[in-house]
Amino acid sequence: MSKPVLVIGGGPAGLAAAHSLASVGKECVIVEKEDKLGGAPILSGYAKLVPTGEWAKDAIGGMVKRVEDEAGVSVVTGATVTDFDGTPGDFTAKLSNGDAVEAEAVILCSGFTHFDSVNKPEWGFGTYPDVVTTTQVEQMISSGDGVRCPSDGRKPKRVAILLCVGSRDRQIGREWCSKICCTVSSNMAMEIREELPDCHVYIYYMDIRTFGLYETKYYWKSQEEFKVKYIKARIAEVTSDGEKLIVKGEDTLVKRPITIPFDMVVHAIGMDPNVENPAISETFGVDLEEHGYIDVAHRYGAMGETSRPGIYVAGSATGPETIDDSIAQGHACAMAVLSNAKNLKSA
Amino acid sequence: MPIHEKSLIRPENLTTHDELVLDGVDVSGHWSTFIETRVVKDYNESMEEEIAALPGGEHIHRCWQCGSCTNSCTVNAINPDFNPRYWIYLIRMGYESELLRDKDIIWQCVSCNKCTYACPRDVFPEGVMKATAHWLEKKGHTTKSPSMHFDEVFTEQIVKTGKIEESRTIRRFFSRTGQALMQPWMVEMVKRMLKGLPVSLLTRMGLATLFAPRTSDWSRASAALEEYIDEQEEKQAQALSLAELVETAKQDVAA
Repeated sequence: MSKPVLVIGGGPAGLAAAHSLASVGKECVIVEKEDKLGGAPILSGYAKLVPTGEWAKDAIGGMVKRVEDEAGVSVVTGATVTDFDGTPGDFTAKLSNGDAVEAEAVILCSGFTHFDSVNKPEWGFGTYPDVVTTTQVEQMISSGDGVRCPSDGRKPKRVAILLCVGSRDRQIGREWCSKICCTVSSNMAMEIREELPDCHVYIYYMDIRTFGLYETKYYWKSQEEFKVKYIKARIAEVTSDGEKLIVKGEDTLVKRPITIPFDMVVHAIGMDPNVENPAISETFGVDLEEHGYIDVAHRYGAMGETSRPGIYVAGSATGPETIDDSIAQGHACAMAVLSNAKNLKSA
Repeated sequence: MPIHEKSLIRPENLTTHDELVLDGVDVSGHWSTFIETRVVKDYNESMEEEIAALPGGEHIHRCWQCGSCTNSCTVNAINPDFNPRYWIYLIRMGYESELLRDKDIIWQCVSCNKCTYACPRDVFPEGVMKATAHWLEKKGHTTKSPSMHFDEVFTEQIVKTGKIEESRTIRRFFSRTGQALMQPWMVEMVKRMLKGLPVSLLTRMGLATLFAPRTSDWSRASAALEEYIDEQEEKQAQALSLAELVETAKQDVAA
C-alpha cells in the first residue's frame, strides 16, 4: 500500500477518483496535460450544467478546489505520460516533464474530444461566421455576453439547432450516439429563449434522446414552457443568401422540402474519442474498442477494468458520458482500485 | 419519382404550355408539363400564437406529432383526409395555405374526445380543432357553421334570461341558418305533442313561448357575463389582429 495511485486526467472523473482515494487516506497523483484542472466543463467554458443548473465554474470549480486542498493529492499539470511499465502494484510512469512516478494502479480519466464541425462542410461551419457549435454558445452564455451572431453582434431572431453533428453518421465514421447533445440542446434552447424571448428556436432532429428523467426536465419543459419547436429533419445543407443563413432539408412529417432563413445555426456537436487515444493505448498497453474509446474489459466484477490488469478507466474515456455519470464512475473506480489492492496484499 | 410519392403531385400544381420554346427547343404540349414547387420557404410563427389565443387551442405547442389523435379519431375512420395531427403541425409551422386546403372539413370534428384521452402530452386536440374552426371563421376563411349559430343563439339566451326556452332557441336557430320553421318533422312533432301531452303542461309551454322565462335577480349576473364575454372577444380579436384585417380590407375597398 505504499505507492500512490496515478490518475490520468483532471476532469470530472479524475477529480472524483482523486477525492475518493484521498478521503480514505490513499495517496494519488493527477497528471493533467492542460495547464489547469477541471476538464471539458472548465476548459471549454460550459455554462449551466445538466441536470442541476449550477454554473460549471462553480460546480466543477468546487471539485477542483476540493482536490487541490487535499494533502494526499499531488497535481502535475502541463504533462503527459511518455513511458509506462510494470505490473499491478508496481508500475512506473515517465512524464514529459522528465519526472517519474511510481504507482500501484492507474485510473485513466482521459476524456473525450469535441467533434470538429469542419468535418461536415455542408453544414457551413467555418464558411459562415454565424454557424457556431454548442460549445461556442455555452461560452457566449457563461461569459455573460449573451447569445449574439458572431458576424455583427446582433441578437438573433431565429436560431436553428442541428442535432447529431458528428454523431450517428457512417459517412464520417462516427456511428455512435453522443448521448448528451439532445439534452444539452433542449437546455440551450431554453437558455436562449430565456435571454431573448423574441427569438424563435427550432431544433432539427432525427430522434430525440433526452433519456430518463431528462424527458420532462428538458424535452417536455422546452416545448411546454419555452415553446421550442422540434422538426424531424436531417438538414441537407446550410448556405447563405448574403443576408441570412438558409437551412435546406426535408420536413419529413409533411414530406416537403424546406429552405428556411435563420440568423444563427448551432451545431450540436458530438463526443469523439480523445484524439490522443491511439497514443494512450500504445503507452499504457490497453485495448481500444471498435469506435476508438478505451475498452472496458469487464463489466460486472469491478468498475472500469481495462484489458490490462491494474489499469482502470472512468468517464468519457470509455464512450460518450454525462458529467454526473463520469463523476460516479470516478468514485467507483477508486473503490475498485482499493479493493483490488487489498486482494493483492492478501494474495 | 418513386411511385408512392406520386400522390404528392396535385393536379392544380401542374402547368402545361401549348406553345413553349426553351433554349431553342420546342417543348410545346405535354412535354412542357411543370410541377409547381412544394418547397416551404419560411415559417409563420404567429399562426400558432393565434390559435393558442382561442379557447381550446392553449396547449397546441405541446404536440410532438405521435399521431395518437388521428389514430383514435372517429371522423378519420370515415374520412382519411380528416387528420388532426397533420393540421396541428401545419399550424405550428405556419403553413397557412396548406391548412386552408382543408378548411371545409376541419369543422367536422364531432367532439367525441377520444383524442383527448389518447393524447400522451395533453394537447387536447379536440379543443384545438374547435379553436381552429373558430380561427377559420374569425379570419373569414369559412362562413359561420350551423353549430356556431346554434352556440350563439343558445349563449345569447342564457346571458339574457338565465334560462333556455327551447322553442325560442329552435326558431332563432332556423331563422339564422335560413331554414323554414314549418319543417315536416317539426309539424309532426307539434301535432303529437298536442295530442299526447296534458293540457296543463301545454298551457305552460304556450305561456313560455309568449313570455320568456327569466331567472329572478338575473340582471347583475347577466351584466357580469356580458362583460366577461366582451373582454374575451376583445382579447381574441387583438391576438388575431382582426382590427388590422378590417383596416386593410377598408383600405382595399377605398383603393
